[in-house]
Amino acid sequence: MKHLLLFALLAHHSFAAFDVSTQETVTGTVKQVDWTNPHIWLWIDVPNENGGVDTYGFEGMSPNFLARRGWTRTTLKTGDKITVSFRPMKDGSKGGMFMTGQMADGKVLSMMGGNDQGTEK
Amino acid sequence: MTMLFALFISSALAATGSAQQFTQKAPTPADWTALAKLPDFTGVWERVGVGAGGNPVFGTPPAAGNRGAAPQRGAAPAARGAATAPLFTPQYEAMRAAAAREPQPEDNSTANCLPPGMPGIMGQPYPMEFLLTPGKVTVIIEAYTQVRHIYTDGRTLPQDPDPKFFGTSIGHWEGDTLVAETVGFSDHVQLARGVPHGDKMKIVERFRLTDPDTMTIETTITDPVVLAKPYTTVNTLRRHRNWTISEYICEENNRNYVDQSGKAGINLTVPGTQKKD
Repeated sequence: MKHLLLFALLAHHSFAAFDVSTQETVTGTVKQVDWTNPHIWLWIDVPNENGGVDTYGFEGMSPNFLARRGWTRTTLKTGDKITVSFRPMKDGSKGGMFMTGQMADGKVLSMMGGNDQGTEK
Repeated sequence: MTMLFALFISSALAATGSAQQFTQKAPTPADWTALAKLPDFTGVWERVGVGAGGNPVFGTPPAAGNRGAAPQRGAAPAARGAATAPLFTPQYEAMRAAAAREPQPEDNSTANCLPPGMPGIMGQPYPMEFLLTPGKVTVIIEAYTQVRHIYTDGRTLPQDPDPKFFGTSIGHWEGDTLVAETVGFSDHVQLARGVPHGDKMKIVERFRLTDPDTMTIETTITDPVVLAKPYTTVNTLRRHRNWTISEYICEENNRNYVDQSGKAGINLTVPGTQKKD
């Protein structure tokens, strides 16, 4: 059992699984959105060289955090086209930590949310 | 001597008994009215520095040895969380130094959805709400859906409390400042990696409004065995009148984990498929 540090200010867990020194990008179609705690998960189908798709998993902030900063559970919907910038998994698995997403209409989604949009000024 | 000893035993028993058997009196209309004279702690508060674009806990590589505890924008220097490390007594400083030389675990048990203990639970990047009722201040903490109970009804701290993540708290008002005293912490609470707390560790929190929508919480930890001197930090919170506390059921879809060896990982099994081994 690992003990809890006194001033653990992390949202929920460490960055150990992610390579935070780099950022990668994939473009695909939203397969599924898990609007769940402790983190949202975005599953994106990305075309591969074999004519099929690989499903990537991206971890985001919590719905609680995002809902206060301009996101809703329908901000991203199944079938949406999106280009995701992410911190990749260190072990090379398909996925990572969501940073930003550019939608087909040019709108950019940030995992930090907007400027308290929909909340207070 | 015998008599003194007997006196000690009986008073200890009495103290234990009163702590366990304290009966909260039924509030009177005057008790409810008296609440109106207290500062307005109502509503939902969040630590300064969590907001859009300023959250140190996501998307920013953690600083070595100070993971995730980046300076909080807009906070006083003293509010910078773990920026200043506690000063340990020689024996425990040796313990800390030895632990620091060991391979470091990649994560702690919050990855497995155990909540942080005190005072870490008060520094989460999620809001909290204060409820003032006669004889009690209740803190509803969104992170991990937790609750703290601070009794202001005149009861005393227990002499031999059961260890708990959040300890056992009593409080009183000094003017416009709520002073909460907490004792009795679970072994999950450590003062640094590899450094346990002592049985006599005590946390005193001073909550006060510095302007109508700003609260500071000055937290002082004393531990006569482990800490060479009291350790004090200050957190600044901002009130958001148009927020509500939401649920945070960590087990809902937790794909993070840390194992016994300290190895952290993520379950990337695509929903609807079998996990690949």
